Amino acid sequence: MATNKIASTVLARGLVLLLGLAGAGGAAAAPSAADIAAVEKELSALAPRIERLEDLHEVEIVQHAYGYYVDKAQWKSLADLFADDATLEIGGKGVFLGKQRVYQYMNEGMGAPGPRDGLLIDHQQFQCLPTILEDGVTARARCIAFVMSSGGWGHVYYENVYRKYDGKWKVQTLHGPFNMYSGYRQGWVDNVTVNTYPEKFAPWPDLPPTVVYLTYPSYYAEPFHYANPVTGKVAPPPSPRAGGEAFGR
Amino acid sequence: MQFASIRLLPALCLALAAGIAGAAQSDDARLAALKKRLAAMAEQTAQVEAVTQLQRIGRSFGYYVDKGYFGEAADLFADNATFRWGNDGIYRGKSRIRELLTRHGGGSMKEGPGLPFGRLNLRMQLQPVITVAADGKSAQGRWREWGLLGQYKKAAIWGDAIIEDRYLLEGGVWKIAARDYYVNFEAPYQGGWAVLKPGTFTAQSAVAKEFAPDSPVPSAYPAFPAVYVPPYHFAGSTPAAIQGRPPVQSSPKRADDALGRLEAEADARELQLARAQSLRAVENLHGIYGYYVDKGQWKQAAALFSRNGTYEFGQSGVYVGPASIERGLSLMGPAGLQEGQLNNFVMVQPIIHVDAQNRTARARWRNDVLQSRAGQGRWGGGIYENEYVNENGTWKISKLHYHVTFWGEYEQGWGAKPIPMDPPSTTLPPDRPPTLVYQSFPKLQVVPFHFDHPVTGKPHEVQ
Repeated sequence: MATNKIASTVLARGLVLLLGLAGAGGAAAAPSAADIAAVEKELSALAPRIERLEDLHEVEIVQHAYGYYVDKAQWKSLADLFADDATLEIGGKGVFLGKQRVYQYMNEGMGAPGPRDGLLIDHQQFQCLPTILEDGVTARARCIAFVMSSGGWGHVYYENVYRKYDGKWKVQTLHGPFNMYSGYRQGWVDNVTVNTYPEKFAPWPDLPPTVVYLTYPSYYAEPFHYANPVTGKVAPPPSPRAGGEAFGR
Repeated sequence: MQFASIRLLPALCLALAAGIAGAAQSDDARLAALKKRLAAMAEQTAQVEAVTQLQRIGRSFGYYVDKGYFGEAADLFADNATFRWGNDGIYRGKSRIRELLTRHGGGSMKEGPGLPFGRLNLRMQLQPVITVAADGKSAQGRWREWGLLGQYKKAAIWGDAIIEDRYLLEGGVWKIAARDYYVNFEAPYQGGWAVLKPGTFTAQSAVAKEFAPDSPVPSAYPAFPAVYVPPYHFAGSTPAAIQGRPPVQSSPKRADDALGRLEAEADARELQLARAQSLRAVENLHGIYGYYVDKGQWKQAAALFSRNGTYEFGQSGVYVGPASIERGLSLMGPAGLQEGQLNNFVMVQPIIHVDAQNRTARARWRNDVLQSRAGQGRWGGGIYENEYVNENGTWKISKLHYHVTFWGEYEQGWGAKPIPMDPPSTTLPPDRPPTLVYQSFPKLQVVPFHFDHPVTGKPHEVQ
């Protein structure tokens, strides 16, 4: 989309220039070069801010679309959200390298494409917090997948990286640490799944997990990609006692 | 989205047709006008940036408290901010807020961030409606908190609360100045919200008994199973939160000089900015709609539709125009609901597209429903594919289409006890039959997408 925008701006400038050439000679005294430069400066200061607003929205769309595609096992559409050299790591399964392996992970690990009657796998995308980095072509986002499925509940974070290729944002790194998985009947009081692991189901990962942790009832805090929006401070790692009964004692 | 590149063409054609004959204004006046316009654009940009920044603050709060980062959560507040916790009372200042959150979340004031073994404190911050004041220095926001709380082997608890925030811009930094946190319920997972008895949350919480608030609440409210509407910071059918710039009627002609080139660039940027603002207005609009539906405020919800707007829910048929839509909505229950009735419509996961002229928009939304009727809890879930129209700067819903995914009894869950969709009502019949016939869970289907694939740009092919 941004490529289109750039293209359209270039087109507009070209045509306006043509107009300018055609009508040259008839114009009244032009404003001073300094005046023009000042206005030009103001406009070029606004442009990246407006584009950043669009980028924030477009990154969110990619992540939200991911959720809708998972819901109904639309694996081709899902894989097409990823960059060719993207990586995917969900829970404790390890890392899958490249868009083809993303497709394979879904197709073999989660089941054949298309919704199956009686099997709900809704992966709802909540609370997305996207950040556009200084380079303007890299973004990160922390989001939640709140899973309502035939198996029960799941609460998963994402700390993802996105990259803009030819004006389109794609998933570069999908990293989805689990927070809590439980069955429906009792909820999270018991019968929780503490994490997945490489051999839990096929296919096997290309690389081992980047981080090994246990989820609820244990404690794991995925590092925050962003600084506190008020203080500007990056949150420290948690207390080493977090997740133990002695925490706070 | 592939049409974005042609949106400037009408403007250019007009400019071509007009040539330079219309350059009647003096260059000085043109320069002054352009400067004024840029100043307005800068203000408008700051307004939209404020919305995104306040969303960021609200969501950060959730991520911090989830993991026991209560100090970081308290840091989102101004130094002398206030935090009203339900009917407990009001806590003032960052350190008191930190302790309040720590105590409610089961953290520790002695240790660094974290939670002890077995403590669950997931508090999802959803459905923001953000209104920035005209001067850009203060703002208000409404949020829905959906909590998954508990202690391993002891308790699993659903949390439901509404947040009304006031924000201030202090030294260029947005902060929460006052938070009113209206607990609606903390319900045991076993049985759910439908088992709650009247008066459950009018008494002080265990935390408040040990950690007394700094001042009492101005007035206590009755939480669920009573139907209480936490005061909205917005009102009427055209609140500021759903306002944007009017659609582009015809693009102005621009002269063929250096100034004209800048004027044309400003035109394009202005439209780009207007569309970015509209995205947030539509997001707010649908959020407001959800909050009204929560409380059975059918008239207020219907007033958010355009004159010929349509409402279609599941297989109930199509209701046309606000008066008819109000009747359609009332199939969910009496206006204002009755004690014991819960009708939470959680609006999440928007994918919003505003057209090239800033005239119409489309959006896909996810919805979860937490209901209770006659002492029975229910789950619902579905997907909206909606359309919106920009009526001279106010966004309205022009088409609401709710596709039911599942509806089910709370006790056994949607899997064991799915509830089929209602057919068109005979007592309050729709104006038109359903536009799409399908069955809900256990049947599943791909709800058509209004948008092409975000990366490939191709229409969705069902897989």
